[in-house]
Amino acid sequence: MTIALRAQLEDRRTFKLDLSVPLLLTFAALLCVLILLPISWLVMYAITEVDPATKARVLTLAQFRTLFSDPDLVEPLITTMIVALSSSVVCCLVAAPMGWLVARTDMPMTRVIRALVTASFVTPPFLGAIAWEILAAPNSGLLNKLYRSATGAEMDAYLFNIYSMPGLIFVIACYTFPYVFVLVANALDRIPGDLEDASSILGAGTWTTARRVTIPLVLPALLAGALVAFLQAMILFGSPAILALPAGFHTMTTKIWSLFQYPPKPELAAAASLPLLFLTVMLLRGQQMILGRKGYSIVGGKSGEPRLIQLGWLVVPALIFVFIVLMLPVFLPYFALLNAAFSPIATTLVTPATFTMKNFYFTFFELSTTHLALKNTFILGAAAATIGTVLALVISYATARKAIAGHRILGFLATAPLAIPGIVLGVGLFLAYTRPPFVLYGTLWVLLLAYITIELPAAYQQLQSAFRAVHPELEDASRILGATRLQALRDVTAPLLRTSVLATWCFIFVSTVRELSAAIMLFTSETKVVSVLIFDLKESGDLGAIAILGLSMLVLTFTVVIFINRIPGFGGSGLRNT
Amino acid sequence: MASVELRNLTKRYGSLAVVDDVSLTIEHGSLVCLLGPSGCGKTTTLRLIAGFVEPTIGEIRVGDHQVSSPQRSLPPERRNMSMIFQSYALWPHMTVAENITYGLKLRKIDAATTKQKLDAILATTRLAPLASRYPGELSGGQQQRVALARALIVEPETLLLDEPLSNLDANLREEMRFEIRRLHDEYRYTTVYVTHDQSEAMTTADVICVMNGGKIEQAGSPEDIYDRPDSEFVARFIGMSNVVRGKRLEGGRVDFSGAPLRVSNASAGSNGEAAISIRQHAIRLTANEPAEKDNVIPATVIRQVFLGASRDYLVEVANGTQLRVVTPAGDAVSAGSTVWLHLPYESCRMLSA
Repeated sequence: MTIALRAQLEDRRTFKLDLSVPLLLTFAALLCVLILLPISWLVMYAITEVDPATKARVLTLAQFRTLFSDPDLVEPLITTMIVALSSSVVCCLVAAPMGWLVARTDMPMTRVIRALVTASFVTPPFLGAIAWEILAAPNSGLLNKLYRSATGAEMDAYLFNIYSMPGLIFVIACYTFPYVFVLVANALDRIPGDLEDASSILGAGTWTTARRVTIPLVLPALLAGALVAFLQAMILFGSPAILALPAGFHTMTTKIWSLFQYPPKPELAAAASLPLLFLTVMLLRGQQMILGRKGYSIVGGKSGEPRLIQLGWLVVPALIFVFIVLMLPVFLPYFALLNAAFSPIATTLVTPATFTMKNFYFTFFELSTTHLALKNTFILGAAAATIGTVLALVISYATARKAIAGHRILGFLATAPLAIPGIVLGVGLFLAYTRPPFVLYGTLWVLLLAYITIELPAAYQQLQSAFRAVHPELEDASRILGATRLQALRDVTAPLLRTSVLATWCFIFVSTVRELSAAIMLFTSETKVVSVLIFDLKESGDLGAIAILGLSMLVLTFTVVIFINRIPGFGGSGLRNT
Repeated sequence: MASVELRNLTKRYGSLAVVDDVSLTIEHGSLVCLLGPSGCGKTTTLRLIAGFVEPTIGEIRVGDHQVSSPQRSLPPERRNMSMIFQSYALWPHMTVAENITYGLKLRKIDAATTKQKLDAILATTRLAPLASRYPGELSGGQQQRVALARALIVEPETLLLDEPLSNLDANLREEMRFEIRRLHDEYRYTTVYVTHDQSEAMTTADVICVMNGGKIEQAGSPEDIYDRPDSEFVARFIGMSNVVRGKRLEGGRVDFSGAPLRVSNASAGSNGEAAISIRQHAIRLTANEPAEKDNVIPATVIRQVFLGASRDYLVEVANGTQLRVVTPAGDAVSAGSTVWLHLPYESCRMLSA
């Protein structure tokens, strides 16, 4: 028997080739194309112009001179900074106490609160902005109407004007505060109870301990959260496009977008993208430095459960505070959207008498682009999720297992898109794929590339940590028994990672469906997606159809996620990671 | 058949040589233990043999074939070896039977033969009732046996074990030691066993290689290593030895705290320092001065601890050197008393520098 077995083995040896290295190299090349190509074109355009005489491109700094001298371009830059800074401050003021209340006090209903924060997190910001338009437009806004009928004020009096800088800051903060909340609450969850106990045993009271020990320990997380909020506010396109343009001012993202409207000025748009890119890189570096500082990392072995602070009667104001905060990004906007969906006029409260399915009918049966947009969104979402997951899987394997030389570069490339705002990537992809050798503009492919690039970093980070949880000896054991690297991956690693892979797939799908800022730069009439369609409908003022589309977008997302999680053998919850 | 030979094997990470010029021949069918403290390079040596790590210098040959060299390394899956990992590395998503038969599936063995081999190995490792369980439902000892069965069923030419017993409790460890030796004697593959536990090495190995700082300090039979340590490191690591220093005298004796000690392996003595090892159990301790004066030295008891079967003394001789002595439990002398130590010359070994 032994001899027969060995003979077979010899046989196999000659035919078994280790494909892993060429495969990984292919992926590295793919990443380079995905990321370096658009960015190179972006930089190229920013620093060159077409010489009218020779029709050749020549180096110039003219774009940057215009960028920093033309008030039309300087003002958006300043506006962006003001908006980002203020909304970041607002986020911290709201999210930090909320995170603390949820993680460290005996306040009830923390699960519900965390779920509602997640709900505001998954709400596409542009949908939120439109909902707030319905609520707080100066004349037609529901809240302003309510105010007028309650106080009997003049017809043109209003309480809120969402078309204003404060309005924009408020709406942005509504949908970026979850970033701060999650960072702060997680940091508080991780602080071992012992650290607080040690303070108490030395004589500090509950509140002193909170002030002197707990809060300083979460300060880095809060700071990092502030930076992320700033970053998000800075690179957001949807909310400023919806709220700032009617108010007559621009942010950087809307300005870049408008530079692509007729007559297009791609050079200037490219130049205007670079400061945004630069600031993003700086902010991310800052965040890494803050979170990576050794002195603040929690040291020590076993630790007890954190002790919860007794709120006593303060629980009532605490709960009121939390629910007012959650009312703003979740309850009120969703109420407004539902109302708009089934009301003949979006800004009038629906009654049983006026209840109508007209919007529904219009959106799905009269509006010609709906079906196309839904189909495109679904195809792109599924394709981006599948390709992105596979890509992230292979790269995170290479980096987690140090499988090839240069795996560090691979990891860097995979996280690099984090530093590329969607709108900037849109500009880069536009420039890169409207010309030979890759004429992809006008096809779904260019949108697919954009989505994959945008979602890759998060997918990569998720799978990277999943790989770390699988002991490398599990793969070694398979290899020493005769499996090649790829066989080991298929037989051992893949089944163990199934849940994480699924979660990553859902995450990319959900994020793709709601993406607007890159899509707005790249769509054509044939490649419209739902988010772009919503944006278009907003221009024509069709709020009822927007509400229907926005809500069905959310329904589509949840259906897909739930469906995937129901497939037999695909246990686990993908929603937890989104 | 397959002997394993390491020739000048060196593995460097940056400038750090984790394995430093190791040469070793492992005869076919023998069980060799790489023994040493953590960080001595023993696991890296094992992973070099397995092919998970490529050497910086040197080569590894199995039988007549070169399997590792800086230029070319056969991947682990093509070495016909098996390995048992410290973490066992049982695949949590496969049952015991699936774990064990995985190697056979890769070798495309037909179902009937697979079944027959599985039943045989399940019987040998006493796992038959657990075949359809998942690893997470097994105890540590059972998991260990699954790892053994999985490694053995493919009938490897070489079996590698990386601290296979370190996660087991003391009783089980003792049992599994003999189990590993029994299976080795039954199948007679070439085995390389890595451990930091000297009693594990003593009970299982044909040859023990004591490693330190990436080098092999001494290789020999368990008796050699235990009775005739070559270096201070080996003497201390194999345990329960006192290493004392003195000046070399004429006639192969060493002056230790005023007493001219006779040693068993006296070499033609030049002048200078010498280190002598003597096992804690070998020293005889008496409360009264013995008649015999050769290799006897007075000392003071610093402390003594009753250990049930024996007593553990810490004593100090005139020059301040402290020695540990293990005596029968009955010999009680209280701390502070003067005692006489008899260091039998056949147990005193002069160590190479």
